[in-house]
Amino acid sequence: MRKIAIYGKGGIGKSTTTQNTVAGLAEWGKKVMVVGCDPKADSTRLLLGGLAQKTVLDTLRDEGEDVELDEILKPGYAKTACVESGGPEPGVGCAGRGIITSINMLEQLGAYTPDLDYTFYDVLGDVVCGGFAMPIRDGKAEEIYIVVSGEMMAMYAANNICKGIVKFAQSGKVRLGGLICNSRKCDNEKELIEALAEKLGTQMIHFVPRDNVVQHAELNRKTVIEYAPTAPQADEYRTLARKIDANKMFVIPKPLTMEELEQLLVKYGLAA
Amino acid sequence: MDLLDDRKRQVVTAGEARAVACDRPSVAGSVTQRACSFCGSRVVLYPIADALHLVHGPVGCAAYTWDIRGAQSSGPQLHRLSFNTDVREEEVIFGGEKKLARALRELVAIHQPKGAFVYATCLTGVIGDDVDAVCRMATAELGIPVIPVQSEGFKGTKKDGYSAACRALDQLIGTGSTEGIGPLSVNILGDFNIAGEIWVIKGYLERMGVEVVATMTGDGRVDTIRKAHGAKLNIVQCAGSMTSVAKLMKEKYGIPFVQVSFFGLEDCADALYQIAKHFGDAEMLRRTRSIVREETEAVLPELARIRKDLEGKKAALYVGGAFKAFSLVKALRQIGMQVTMAGTQTGGPADYEHLKELCDSDTILADDSNPLEMASWLALRDVDLFIGGVKERPVAFKLGIGFCDHNHERKIGLAGFEGCAAFAREVHATVTSPVWSLVPRRAGGRLA
Repeated sequence: MRKIAIYGKGGIGKSTTTQNTVAGLAEWGKKVMVVGCDPKADSTRLLLGGLAQKTVLDTLRDEGEDVELDEILKPGYAKTACVESGGPEPGVGCAGRGIITSINMLEQLGAYTPDLDYTFYDVLGDVVCGGFAMPIRDGKAEEIYIVVSGEMMAMYAANNICKGIVKFAQSGKVRLGGLICNSRKCDNEKELIEALAEKLGTQMIHFVPRDNVVQHAELNRKTVIEYAPTAPQADEYRTLARKIDANKMFVIPKPLTMEELEQLLVKYGLAA
Repeated sequence: MDLLDDRKRQVVTAGEARAVACDRPSVAGSVTQRACSFCGSRVVLYPIADALHLVHGPVGCAAYTWDIRGAQSSGPQLHRLSFNTDVREEEVIFGGEKKLARALRELVAIHQPKGAFVYATCLTGVIGDDVDAVCRMATAELGIPVIPVQSEGFKGTKKDGYSAACRALDQLIGTGSTEGIGPLSVNILGDFNIAGEIWVIKGYLERMGVEVVATMTGDGRVDTIRKAHGAKLNIVQCAGSMTSVAKLMKEKYGIPFVQVSFFGLEDCADALYQIAKHFGDAEMLRRTRSIVREETEAVLPELARIRKDLEGKKAALYVGGAFKAFSLVKALRQIGMQVTMAGTQTGGPADYEHLKELCDSDTILADDSNPLEMASWLALRDVDLFIGGVKERPVAFKLGIGFCDHNHERKIGLAGFEGCAAFAREVHATVTSPVWSLVPRRAGGRLA
């Protein structure tokens, strides 16, 4: 089983990209589990056709330790298995601890079955504390993809996440598999992200163009692959899925300094 | 002896010119005898007997500080219970504020306390529970003062816990009516009534004609603390824990304070005279003289008898606050004993300077010491007695040295003139016990 974590700045399109990629893999016959690691619990909405999911932590709270796996593991599009960690309302408690508890719970309950080809962790935007790094601790996700765009703050966040990966890569097996550019139609975006990837010592595994069909699919609570299977955008996600499946490039990234990052922007963005 | 490099500046002999470095966080790995700041705030506030003391955190924080001093109360005994919100995984993730509010409601209904203190712990500090807000709402809803104590264990040393406790007291003081409080009135600060000391001190003051408004916090009550600002003088005994309340009250309400000790004949007499002189009442001064004379005469013969057996014996002491150390040095000297090592957990620079003047030039002085250091000094100086608290006891007993508790575990009061006799009796019984001739270090065995 390959265990993959998707990180990236908040609002960059991690959940959308993850679910569409997973749909691509599942449609192709791969057995995939998705673990949402965001207190908002909206990482599996498109695969499940809505927020029908009771989260691991809500279940734990309501029913105590005697949780059954089928209470928290729901079947989604093309036999995907969907889990949401859940967490506290904004402003209270410790969401990071929630993720730790939830992933431990899934392990205890035996959610990671041998028939799975993939587990995807979709993690909250910024790795704000130790809990949000839980999915990349040793023995958890071993491959990371960072969703990024040509916008300064998205690249800044990606670089920060790389710093986190370096820490965990030194003590475990986690490696960076590449950057996924989710286009915001910035100037020279593809070249910019390719250059960033090169500096980081990784690759831009795919450039996902911007297409309104993604919005339409989301409004219908579906992935593009389910909602508009013949749309060109559906093929983009299928391609991304195949590239990830075939990927062999796993590295410990070399994070940039703030100056290097700014220089990159000037060279490819503003200077264009 | 070998000291950790980072500890060297905190240990001197009294005759040395260099000062004792102090007022600093404990050196990691030195196995300090200090408690955490949560524990510091808990020991200061918990003797308030008609208040609910609710620890907002994991059960261990409450269990390990349950009735930690055995503080005596002449009335309600609510303080001797330990209440806890039992914060677990679920509250860590989803926040513990609701559970705290529920616990307050439930406990206040059952126990009808006059007030409540809610102690923040490490865990609830880290997850960011808004203890202040819950206390504010509970105060409005439940009709009693519910006071937050910002005592997250990781926030500084035990001394910072004392400050948190003092800030909590400050919220209570000034909220009651001062009607009927006379001009010759005091608050007693910094005695915790471990073995009835407050009652002894109160007895002397009453005989002098002094009215005691509030005791903080030994045998303390919420309502008397609320009107403590009506007293005309603050008497501060334990300097470490309560000086900041005295300073605050001086600033806010213009109440002067005197620092005294009721331990040891000399200090006890001095304390009573200081109070009488402050009020400048001739009649009170006359009464005080006769109390001191009467009480001293009652115990002197026994002290003299005891002194004969103890003359030239050596003692070591390690206590929380410096004032207790001063008094112990003097009290031991009075019964013929020499202090060869003295240390404190929370002494300040001026305290150590005073201790240097008080002690013999070769006395070892140590700030924030630890079991290994102390064990080596006890052996080096071959002492006959070690005085400390619950954490020092095993250090002495492992070496086969007599030990007297001068902290939480006492059952016999050591304050006042009668306390001097009790202290001398206890020291005498310990030091002259035949058992010490059988322990390895005396019986020719290897020294631990």
